[in-house]
Amino acid sequence: MVNDVTNIAYLIVALPVLAFVLTLAFGKKLPSGGGYIPILAIALSCIISIMAFLQIRETGMPIEISSHWFAVLNVGIFIDPLASVMLLMVSFVSLLIHIYAIGYMAHDPAKPRYFAETALFTAAMLGVVLADNILQFFVAWEIVGLCSYLLIGFWNHKPTAAAAGKKAFLTTRVGDVLFMAGIVILFFNMREHVLPHISGQEEVYLLQFKTIFENIALIPSQQLTLITLLFFGGAVGKSGQFPLHVWLPDAMEGPTTVSALIHAATMVTAGVYLVARTFPMFIAAPDSLMVVAYVGGFTALFASTMGLVMNDIKRVLAFSTISQLGYMMLALGMGAVIGAEAVGFAMFHLINHAFFKACLFLCAGSVIHSTGTNDLREMGGLFSKMKITGITMLFASLALAGIGIPFLKILDTPIGTSGFVSKDAIIVEGTYVFAHLSHNWIPFAFGVIAALLTAIYTFRLWFMAFTGKPRQERHPHESPFTMTGVLSVLAAFAMVFGMLTFLPFLEFVGHTYDHEEIHHLAVLGENTIIDHHELHHIVGEASPIIFLLPVVVGVGGLLLSWVIYNRRWISVASIGNWKNPIFAVIARRYYQHEIFIELIALKFTYGVLALSAEFIDRRIVDGIIDGISDFVVGAADIVKKVQSGVVQNYATATVAGVALLGLILTFLSITEVI
Amino acid sequence: MQSIYLSLILFLPLIGAALTFFIKPREIARVVALVFSVIPLFITAMLFSRFNSDLGFLQFQFAENYTWISSLGINYSLGVDSVSMPLILLNAILCPLTIIYSWGEHKDANQYFALLMILQAGVFGVFMSLDFFLFYIFWELTLIPLYFLISIWGGPNKDYAAIKFFIYTHVASLVMLLGIFALYFSTNVNTFYIPDLLRAFAGIDDVMKVAIFLAIFFGFMVKMPTVPFHTWLPDAHVEAPTAGSVLLAGVLLKMGGYGLFRVLLPMIQDMGTYQGQIITIMAFFGVLSILYGTFAALAQTDLKKMVAYSSVSHMGFVMLGAAAFNVISVSGAMFQQFSHGLITAVLFMSVGVIQHNVHTRIISELGGLTKKMPKLSFIMMGGFMASLGLPLMCGFVAEFLVLTGSYLTLPVYAILAFLGIVATAGYHLWALQRAMFGSFNEKLGDIKDTVSYEWIPMGILVLLIIYFGFNPAPVSDIFQAASSVIPGVMQI
Repeated sequence: MVNDVTNIAYLIVALPVLAFVLTLAFGKKLPSGGGYIPILAIALSCIISIMAFLQIRETGMPIEISSHWFAVLNVGIFIDPLASVMLLMVSFVSLLIHIYAIGYMAHDPAKPRYFAETALFTAAMLGVVLADNILQFFVAWEIVGLCSYLLIGFWNHKPTAAAAGKKAFLTTRVGDVLFMAGIVILFFNMREHVLPHISGQEEVYLLQFKTIFENIALIPSQQLTLITLLFFGGAVGKSGQFPLHVWLPDAMEGPTTVSALIHAATMVTAGVYLVARTFPMFIAAPDSLMVVAYVGGFTALFASTMGLVMNDIKRVLAFSTISQLGYMMLALGMGAVIGAEAVGFAMFHLINHAFFKACLFLCAGSVIHSTGTNDLREMGGLFSKMKITGITMLFASLALAGIGIPFLKILDTPIGTSGFVSKDAIIVEGTYVFAHLSHNWIPFAFGVIAALLTAIYTFRLWFMAFTGKPRQERHPHESPFTMTGVLSVLAAFAMVFGMLTFLPFLEFVGHTYDHEEIHHLAVLGENTIIDHHELHHIVGEASPIIFLLPVVVGVGGLLLSWVIYNRRWISVASIGNWKNPIFAVIARRYYQHEIFIELIALKFTYGVLALSAEFIDRRIVDGIIDGISDFVVGAADIVKKVQSGVVQNYATATVAGVALLGLILTFLSITEVI
Repeated sequence: MQSIYLSLILFLPLIGAALTFFIKPREIARVVALVFSVIPLFITAMLFSRFNSDLGFLQFQFAENYTWISSLGINYSLGVDSVSMPLILLNAILCPLTIIYSWGEHKDANQYFALLMILQAGVFGVFMSLDFFLFYIFWELTLIPLYFLISIWGGPNKDYAAIKFFIYTHVASLVMLLGIFALYFSTNVNTFYIPDLLRAFAGIDDVMKVAIFLAIFFGFMVKMPTVPFHTWLPDAHVEAPTAGSVLLAGVLLKMGGYGLFRVLLPMIQDMGTYQGQIITIMAFFGVLSILYGTFAALAQTDLKKMVAYSSVSHMGFVMLGAAAFNVISVSGAMFQQFSHGLITAVLFMSVGVIQHNVHTRIISELGGLTKKMPKLSFIMMGGFMASLGLPLMCGFVAEFLVLTGSYLTLPVYAILAFLGIVATAGYHLWALQRAMFGSFNEKLGDIKDTVSYEWIPMGILVLLIIYFGFNPAPVSDIFQAASSVIPGVMQI
């Protein structure tokens, strides 16, 4: 079947790349630093993504193209339901952020560089999404890393920005090396165990997703566990999971629009997408899925504690991103019990999160833009001055806190903010079902406690910024229409997207992987998963308290925040002072800076490894050479009467000797010819 | 009828050197030098486009063969195959770019350009010679111009560096020469023609084989250079003028790797019971160079010295890939030679611009240079990203092939090599952060950005790096063909 979208699918990536080149080359001469070029390009990418989505939904067939690259590798495009919803989200949210940036970056002289780099950032992320093989995925993934480095360090004249960019690149690089090792080991296994079975076929590429998924059964399960854990290592780096999350809170050194891009549309979701993309491999390695679940659940909780004590508005949001990504990983990990349904839940939360987190960051940007500070303690009472920002941020906060109405379902759809709909699904249909079957309540506890803390820090932020007395001299003002318009669109999505798309989304993304195949792979991993009906049955029989709990903690957190930060019935200072050891540990971010930067990077890598290599090099390796040379010169001094003893003379003599030899030989050859 | 193209490529730079030497005005000298290095580039490009990479082991194209000393079996014998073709292209590309980069050289410019061109000719000769004796003559010929480049145009400690470079590599070459003579006398073919010697190698007794192998190996190890025989390199680089450093790291080091592929890998199959030990030695020194070079680079305070140690580390990948002895790893190692040649040239040129315009290369004395040197920062960033192995730049292709291939046959060494990757990114980014970013160090005063004759060659190199990162096939296919015909190498 010939169809149009297959032939133009490459434009989804190619257009933003073209925009990158054009903006870089001509941006200085164009209005708004050439910012309209990436907007146009990404809008077109978005339209093609919509066309691809419609085609896949209609035909039920993925879009596939592949051609030879070099050696044993190929390049190609693979768009299945999973990739297509991701493409829609990335291109749409990135488009909105670009429109917002026209207003936000209006006064920055380096606009052309900004827009060029964000265009490349978007292109790289789109490239990750539609890669048809794991190496191409990795290549695009690395370009995402490069762009984050460039954009976080965008104001590189600020030492903190330069340091944050480097930290982001290096921390994610740790994960990337693990990921690359996973690819190398996967290649080894494909060659050893799979190639002999399929070598008759033409055009087989061992790293293509299709080839890998069809032959998972041939790879030994220990190797599969190793490979998936290494892949997950990459995801831990990119998606800011414990312990490689340390770069993300510092990543706010870039412009706020960059933070919005990193936290919502690009970069951090790549890690979750990696696990979802290679889910068939994970399902056959249930041990790895358990690691995913525990790391994710722990991260969700761990990061939310730090969200409670940060005073920088963007840092609070950064920790909330880490925490929400933890939820997505937790959801994927639950796949060990609920199978491919987990991918649907994780992706649904990923996309809802993209809307409300983009909204929150852009609202924060709007606030920073008008107040000129990041510090929540200096804000307050902004609501009267910035109504649109205040209301849109409130909506997004309700979504982040997961506020909704329990038990009420219309047409099988829960009623609540998008964050409620997706987070609820993860907690109830994921962790609860897991607990029900395995009697292990730890993931459930992670999910519920983190939900409570999330609601508290979210509304702490909102109440501190928008209510109470103004705490500064400035005169805040509402932002221009390009900014508030975008905020309104995102806030609307944050409120209703979850409800409107709940069932169709899970249905559509559920078709990414063949359920029987997934079942078969789970059995291969000596694991049993339940199907859709059993899942519904277990959820249907659950005690009402299970449904109530996520909402209760959400609303409870909101009220607690209201009591502390709006009514101020409880003094903040009585808890949040440095004499309180728990507060001190959390506020120092669990001494991560001391451990990662000072201990591992500076003391060990530089202080021990690098300096000792340098010492050995100068004193021992080169010392021996100089010693030999001194010995020869010394010995020559003794026999000076026979020899001149000057090393230079020996060198000259040698050169002369070689030249003379050449001459003699040439002469000999000439005489022979004669 | 014999082909003449290779001799043209080889002798045009020498003729150019002779002409340049006697033309005092630098404005004319540099034009002559450029013309005589661009013509070989065109001829090389033409040969490259006509090149047939499907030929088997030791089947040479564009070959020339003239008897030189028949009694000893020494011939003037040139030819290219898929091992050497891309390296000849690399040399042909780098030399004109280096000459353009040196356009502003004032001190005895005519001699400077003449020496660069002799260097170019010597490297061409090494890559083309099919006669071991001829190979050795060109191998030694490259020492002389570089010795003078360092000792005349070098930095404050130039005498020490020049003599150390000369004696160190020369002693290693003499050991190699012993190996060559041993090979010649233990086979009874009475020729220095490399293919014949390699075919006859199998007939030598085992201990002698090992001795010959190790003697020649030592010569190549020092040239590459492999830890612990590398200490001449940082000193030479620190003192050498930029053009000298570019060619030293860009093509001279590649002669060591080339020798490995041309002469030693075909011998491995015949090493009998010693094969495993030989491979272990190569893999060990390869990984040692990767890790040691990386950490030593991290400790450097001089930007140029850091780049020099990065070369040691990157050349370790060549050794590791060769040791793993399968098509993927060996072709990756060959590609690493090609790609490192392009990348390191950008790095040394960038550092050269800083040295020239800021008058210091000590990282702690720099800071915030992007503000005053936006063009240089842009290009330098490209070079640094390529050097740390960013995908879609040619360095990644090479490293990925080497690591993937090495894991097939030497998994432990491959995993050790992985450990260096994060630290490699670390020293590059740390140097950029301290030298280029942050607030501008006002003590440096008014600094000019790079001028066109500097950034044009650097820009061309960055574009080539990106081109071969996107589309490695034109070169990597040739190397794949080359490695698949080496006897005994594991096929994929």
